[in-house]
Amino acid sequence: MNKIRNLIMKNRYTLLLTTIFAYILAVVVEGAVTGRDARVIDLENPFFDLDVRDFDEFREARSDDDDEADFDDR
Amino acid sequence: MNNFDLRRYRAMLKREVLEHPTLFFGAPVLEALLIVLILAWLQTFVPLEEKRLAVEYMAVLFNGLSPTDMAPIFMLLAIPFVASLYISAIVYLTNSLYQDRRDTSVLFWQSMPVSNLQTVLSKIVTIGVVVPLIYMGTLAIMYCIGAIWLTVMGLSYEVEVAGLGYMFMAALTSLALVYLSTVVASLWLLPTVGWLLLFSAFAKRTPLLWAIGAFILLGLIEGFVFNTQYLANWVESRSDPSGYLILSFGSVFDRLFTYDMLFGIAVGSILITGAVYMRRFID
Repeated sequence: MNKIRNLIMKNRYTLLLTTIFAYILAVVVEGAVTGRDARVIDLENPFFDLDVRDFDEFREARSDDDDEADFDDR
Repeated sequence: MNNFDLRRYRAMLKREVLEHPTLFFGAPVLEALLIVLILAWLQTFVPLEEKRLAVEYMAVLFNGLSPTDMAPIFMLLAIPFVASLYISAIVYLTNSLYQDRRDTSVLFWQSMPVSNLQTVLSKIVTIGVVVPLIYMGTLAIMYCIGAIWLTVMGLSYEVEVAGLGYMFMAALTSLALVYLSTVVASLWLLPTVGWLLLFSAFAKRTPLLWAIGAFILLGLIEGFVFNTQYLANWVESRSDPSGYLILSFGSVFDRLFTYDMLFGIAVGSILITGAVYMRRFID
C-alpha cells in the first residue's frame, strides 16, 4: 500500500494522471452501467425542425439533394 | 467543531473575499450600475403618458398576487448577474491555488495551523455560498432603487401604488430562489469545480488552458481509441439547468437528493482530493 502511495505521490504528474484516471474510470463505468446517453436536443419552433436524433437522416437527405442538384447541373 | 475552528474558518472565508475585491464586489456593482444607468437613459425616450400607464399597469397586475407564485418571473432579471457570477467563478477557481504558488504565499499559509483540505474547502465554500450572497445583495439594492423609482413615479403621476409593494416582495423572493439555485448549482457542478481546482494546483502557468486543453484531449482520445462518448455525454448531462434550477422552495430537497446530484458530488470529490494532495507540490 505504501508503495502505491509513494508511486502516486512521486511527483505532480503521477498524481494528476492518477486523479484523472480515477475520475474517468468512475464516469465511464457509471456511464456504461446506467447507459447514460446525451440528452437529445429537440428544438421546436415555427421556422424549422431540429432533432439531433434525425441527424443521420438529415445528412442523408442533404447528400441526396446534393446529388440531385449535381444531376440537374449536368 | 468548536468556537475556535468556526472563527478560523470565518477568517479563511474573509481572506478569500478580501483578496478578490474586483471579482466579488467590482463586477456585480459595475453591472448593477450599468443596468440602472441604461434603464434611466432609456426611460427618457418614453412619453410621460406611456410611463404613467406602465406604472399603473404594473401596480394593477401584481396587486394581491402571492410573491412566491410570481417570483419565478423575476428570476429572469437575475440572468446577467448569474452569467457574471459563473465567469467570476471560473476565473477565481482557475487562479486561486495557482496564484498562491505563484506569489509563494502558499508557504506562509501552509505554515499556519490550517490544512490543505481546509484551504481548498474554503475556496469552494467562498464561490458556492459566500459570493452568491454578495451578488444577491447587489441585486437586492438594485431592486430597492427600482422600487423607490417606480413608487416616486407612481406618486407623481397620482397612480395607486399599493400593487408595487407586491411586485417588490416578488422580486425579493426571487432573489432567495436565485441564491438557492446558485448554491445547488455549485454542488451540481462540483466535478467542474474540482477539475478547475485540480489544474489550478497543477499548472506551472496558464491553468485555464491546461484545464480546457486536457479535457478536450481526453474527449478526443476516448473518441478515437474507444469510439465511445461517455465523457461528452457526462458533460452534456451536467449542463442541463433542470438539475439545479429551483423555481419553488419545496423543490430544494428534490434537487439535492437525486442520483445525478449525489454521483456528481462523489466524482467531484475525487478531483477535489487530487487538488488537495497537489498542494504538496510547490514550485
